[in-house]
Formats: sequence, structure tokens, C-alpha cells
Amino acid sequence: MAKNTRGIEVAEIIPDKCIACQICIGECPVGAIELNAAGVAEIDPEVCVGCGKCFDSCPVNAVRFEKKKRRKIAEEKPAEPGAQPPSHRGVAVFIEIVDGRGAPVSWELAGKARELAQQLDAKVLGFVLGSNVGDVAEEAIFYGCDEIHVMDDPLLARYLSATFGKALSDLCAEVRPEILLVGATPLGRDLAGVVATRLETGLTADCTGLFIEKETGLLLMTRPTFGGNIMATIFCQRQRPQMSSVRPRVFAMPKRDAERKGTVSRHKFEPPAVELPEIVKFIPTGAEAGIDIVRYPALVVAGRGACDPSSLSLLEELAELVGGVVACSRPVVQAGLLPYERQVGQTGRTVAPRLYIGVGVSGAVQHLVAIQGADKIVAINSDPNAPIFRVADAGIVGNYQQVVPELIAQLRNKKS
Amino acid sequence: MHFVVCIKQVPDTAEVKIDPETNTLVRAGVESMANPYDITAMEEALRLKEKYGARVTAISMGPPQADSVLRQALSMGADDAVLLSDRAFAGADTLATSYTLSKAIETLGNVEPVDLVLCGKQAVDGDTAQTGPGIATRLGFTQFTYVIEVERIDPDKRRLQVRRKVEGGFEVISGALPALLSVELELAAPRRASLPMLIDSLRTPVKTWDAKAIGASSALVGIKGSPTWVKAIASPQVHRAGPRWDAAEGVSAAVSAALDALFSDEEFAAGFVKGWKA
Repeated sequence: MAKNTRGIEVAEIIPDKCIACQICIGECPVGAIELNAAGVAEIDPEVCVGCGKCFDSCPVNAVRFEKKKRRKIAEEKPAEPGAQPPSHRGVAVFIEIVDGRGAPVSWELAGKARELAQQLDAKVLGFVLGSNVGDVAEEAIFYGCDEIHVMDDPLLARYLSATFGKALSDLCAEVRPEILLVGATPLGRDLAGVVATRLETGLTADCTGLFIEKETGLLLMTRPTFGGNIMATIFCQRQRPQMSSVRPRVFAMPKRDAERKGTVSRHKFEPPAVELPEIVKFIPTGAEAGIDIVRYPALVVAGRGACDPSSLSLLEELAELVGGVVACSRPVVQAGLLPYERQVGQTGRTVAPRLYIGVGVSGAVQHLVAIQGADKIVAINSDPNAPIFRVADAGIVGNYQQVVPELIAQLRNKKS
Repeated sequence: MHFVVCIKQVPDTAEVKIDPETNTLVRAGVESMANPYDITAMEEALRLKEKYGARVTAISMGPPQADSVLRQALSMGADDAVLLSDRAFAGADTLATSYTLSKAIETLGNVEPVDLVLCGKQAVDGDTAQTGPGIATRLGFTQFTYVIEVERIDPDKRRLQVRRKVEGGFEVISGALPALLSVELELAAPRRASLPMLIDSLRTPVKTWDAKAIGASSALVGIKGSPTWVKAIASPQVHRAGPRWDAAEGVSAAVSAALDALFSDEEFAAGFVKGWKA
């Protein structure tokens, strides 16, 4: 073990093992750890106090440290259990409005917020911004909100980053929720970044799991990272609200209960003191513009292993038989076989069909997190070690060019 | 006019995996590259420069080796490049990153006011799409995300009109300069650097600025300025791990067994037969 000039037995990073997750950097009470130019953590031995926190927190055992030599240090106590400022209470959901109605993702989040609020013994708050939005406020109660906070103003009839960003930030400053959930739609992603910056708080994008940590009451947010091959659990210790965005169809749609009761309070919208952009026109995407894969109850998904133009008609035949359409994974789009709109995955679409059939899909995490809402997953792959088999309800190891025709024949029999 | 393009160096993420045996990140053979969305933003900045006349500055925050993405920007035609590199910047989340980049843009603006900031819609390693809105908010610039076409810039009236993707279609929107655009890949296909430009770009130095050079507070950059921290990382958990059958032992038998497993769920079987109509 290395000693520093003060004679303290210090911790050391084993560079080959370090994965640069930076957990130790956050844990170190004296700021002795930094990422070096090679992209791995490095401990400054002269600053290290030998407390061993980095050793305890490292997820991959990349810290060399002699536990017996651990030194107790006088440090400011970390957050007490449940020590978030008590002035911040409630789990808030931004209710997005599409064509005058609440977006499905907002109801999915209201359902998740109920779960979280129960564990925190707190209320679910629905934040509704728009013009003439009374009906939406009522719907939000039916889907699980307890308190609705509305800003109803003609200036909020159409979305602008500047107006909505200020409105939602102002609501947060006034109502002070401890958590704010936003649907990761194009609008929600635009908005969440503005609000988090205005409130100087933490925002975790595209979460696939949300939990309350029992001991601390903190929101734990899991999301795929490094292009979706690794899951990271993120938290936001001090700033409030703890913000998270979640893709549509990641969480289940709660039951609508028209008997539920709640309160609605109105807040005045103070427009920002800037020159607002002007929406010149809106051009709806025509029906001819393409296929929306999320609307289909079944998907036959071509992966790298079935990325062959001559196989497309076979997959289309299967798709038609199961009442669906052909979609694909990222490599198939990159190869130019199918357009981006057919791509399933974290950078493509998140889907939740009744039946998902993966053909030659290996199952990178960024793909798997986007299909976790599927009812049944069937995997066909020649590689028995393909990760997709770990999430499949039924898997067939074999050459898809033999398996798919057989599958078509047997499914035909079932249907007749 | 003065355009600033923000470029992030990202790992070629398709290849980053956790070794299931040792639970460590497999780094071997992982190359880094410039975020493709940001290179699209660079291309658009150059096209706008050709049309309207402007000075284009490329900036990137990262370790010293991130200067390679700025070299690429210079070879495409950027006039200037600044690398924001400081050990204190390490571990930044999107809030700290947008702070650091906005401080750098302010610093650039002190010499020559910035009219337009262009960046990619998102980086392919994090996919968060938060940094662009963060920069626009901090600088008080007009924010246009998901831009697929810059229709026109009116330097005299200080206005800009773009076409952007929104739910269910496109929006044509105009607003005041200075503005920030976050761009989609279809906006512009990036050019390849010609050999003379490549050689020429080597003569332009990449400047390096640290926290002090941009007047950034040490409490707001890097891990110290980041409200979100990583608690743990893991390979994703297994959700169902159903049975599987090997077609090598008979294709027909394997398919039949798999379908039996699937159709043992009667609700699912009924749904299939009825074509999923309730």
C-alpha cells in the first residue's frame, strides 16, 4: 500500500479496471479524485485522507485499499435519511396536451407517479399548461392525479420553448414538488431541458425505471447509457425537483377511474419578457409519409442477422399473417434496407405490441429497453448466446430462412 | 455574423459492452468519433456561411484528445476552433456541460458577438437532447430544436426562419437572433474535407481554454456543478428468459413447441385468432 507524505495509507485506482463511471469522484469527501487524460479516475495521494469511501462505492473493484487502515474523518454528515427539504413535497407530472387531449404518455406517468407518491406518502400533482384546458385537468384526476395546477392562457395555446419553459418553471417554484416527470416526446424533451436549466436542477433523460430509495426517499432513475449497452442508476441528491423524462409506452397505462376526486387550482401565467418566436405554419405529416410502427399490434422485427433484401418478402408475409408490419433494429437502417421510421430502439421508437417477433435481432440493450412493454416476445436467432433470448417468452435457435417459413405454415393452421 | 458550432467527441458506442464475467467495461477496440448530429450542425453552419457570410467557430468540451473532432471541423472549413479542457470539467452532467459551453460562447461573444449557435439534436452516446436547450436557456437565445431546414436568415432585421420537426408534422417558425438551433441528421449531408483543406487546417491551431479562461465558477463545472450522480452501473437485468428450442433438432418440432408455449396464454391465443380485435 502506498503512503503519502503525511503517512496516511491512501487508496489507489487500478487503471485497467476503472470504467470511468465517476461514482468515486462523487463519493470522495475531500475531492481527491479526478478523471485523468486517459479517461480513468486518479487519486491525488496528497489530498486523500484514507477514508475508503471510493473503495466501498466502486462497482467494479477498481480501488486498491487496505480496509484495516481505514481512517475515520470528520466530515459534514451526508444527507440524513429523508432529509430532502421538507418544503418540497409531491410527485408532479407535466400533462402534455395533443389536439386538446392529454397525451397517453402523461397518463402513463400519472400511474407511475401514484406508485412513487404512495411510497413517499405524498400527493400526485398534475401540471397542465394550455388554453381552455379544463377537460384535461379533469381527465388528469381520473388517471391518478390528486391536485391539478393549471396555467390557462391564450399565449399557451401553442407550444413555444420560451413560454412553456417559463410557465412550468414558475409552477415548480410556486408548488415546489420534490419530483417532476415529463414525457420524453419531442415537446417534452425540448421543455425538460429548459426547465431543468432554469431551476438549476438535475434532469435524467429517457428513464426506463423509477424507484424510491427506502433509506433516503431519493428518486432512483435507471436509464440505458453508452449507446444503450449499459444501465446506469442516477440520482439527484440536493436539487429539487428531481426531474426525469420517460419515453411513451415504457410504463403501463393506468385504469381510468371517473369516480376519482381531486382539486384544481389555477395560477396566473406571467409571460417572459422576451420577443417570442412566431409559428408561421404547421404542416401535418400526410398519411402517405410512412408507417407508424407503434400503431400495429404485432411487429416482425428484422435484425442484423436478417438484413438481406431477398428475405424482406418472407418477413412481410409473416407480418401480414400476424396482423402487423415489418420493423427493424438499428443495423438494418444503417445498411439502408429499411427507413429510419421503422427502427425500434432507444434511438428509434419504443414499442409495446401484443406480439413481437425478432428475426436475427441480437438484442443490444438499447433495443431491448425499447421492447420491454411488448406482451409476447418471440426470438429467432442462429446464435444461442444472443441476449434477446434472455427477454423472450419463446425462443427458437436456428436459421431464420428455415424457421420463418415453418412458422408461417404453423401459424396459418392456428388461424384457420 | 458569427456562428458557433458545439461538437462532442463520443465513443463509437455500438461496441461498448460490459464483460459479464468481470463486470467491467470492455474498452478494447473502442474508437472515438465526432457526434454525427454535431457534424451535421457544422455542415449547416458552413452552408449558411457560404450563403450569408459569417465566421464559424467550433468548440468542444473534453479531454485533450478531443481536439481531433475540432481538427475535423477545421478541415471541413471552420475558421477557428477552441477546446474546453480542464480537469475540473470532468464528470459533468448536462447542467454543468451547458453551463461550461455557454460560458465559452459568452467569452467568444466578447470578441465578436455570436448570432447563431448550432449543435446536434443529441449525442449518440447519451441521447439526452438536453444540452442544446440548456445552452439556449442560459444565454437567453431563441431556441429551435429538431431543425430540418434553415429557410432564411435576415441579418438586417435580425431574424431567422426554420422548419422543425414536431409531433405529427413540421412547423415553420421564425424568431429573433441570436438563436440556438439543435439539428436533425437530415438537415445536411456533411462534406468530406478536400486534401488542400486538410493541409490548410493543420496550420490553424486549436486553442485550449480552461475554466479560468472562460470565467467559469469552479462550483458550477464538472462533477461539482452536476446535480445528478451515478449510483451504480450494471448490465441490464433479465426480464423473462423464457424457454427456447433448437431448430437443429427439427425445425417443425421447435416451431411447434415455441408456439405451444406462446398460445398456452388463452387471452393471447384468442387475440391472435381474432386479428387483435377485442
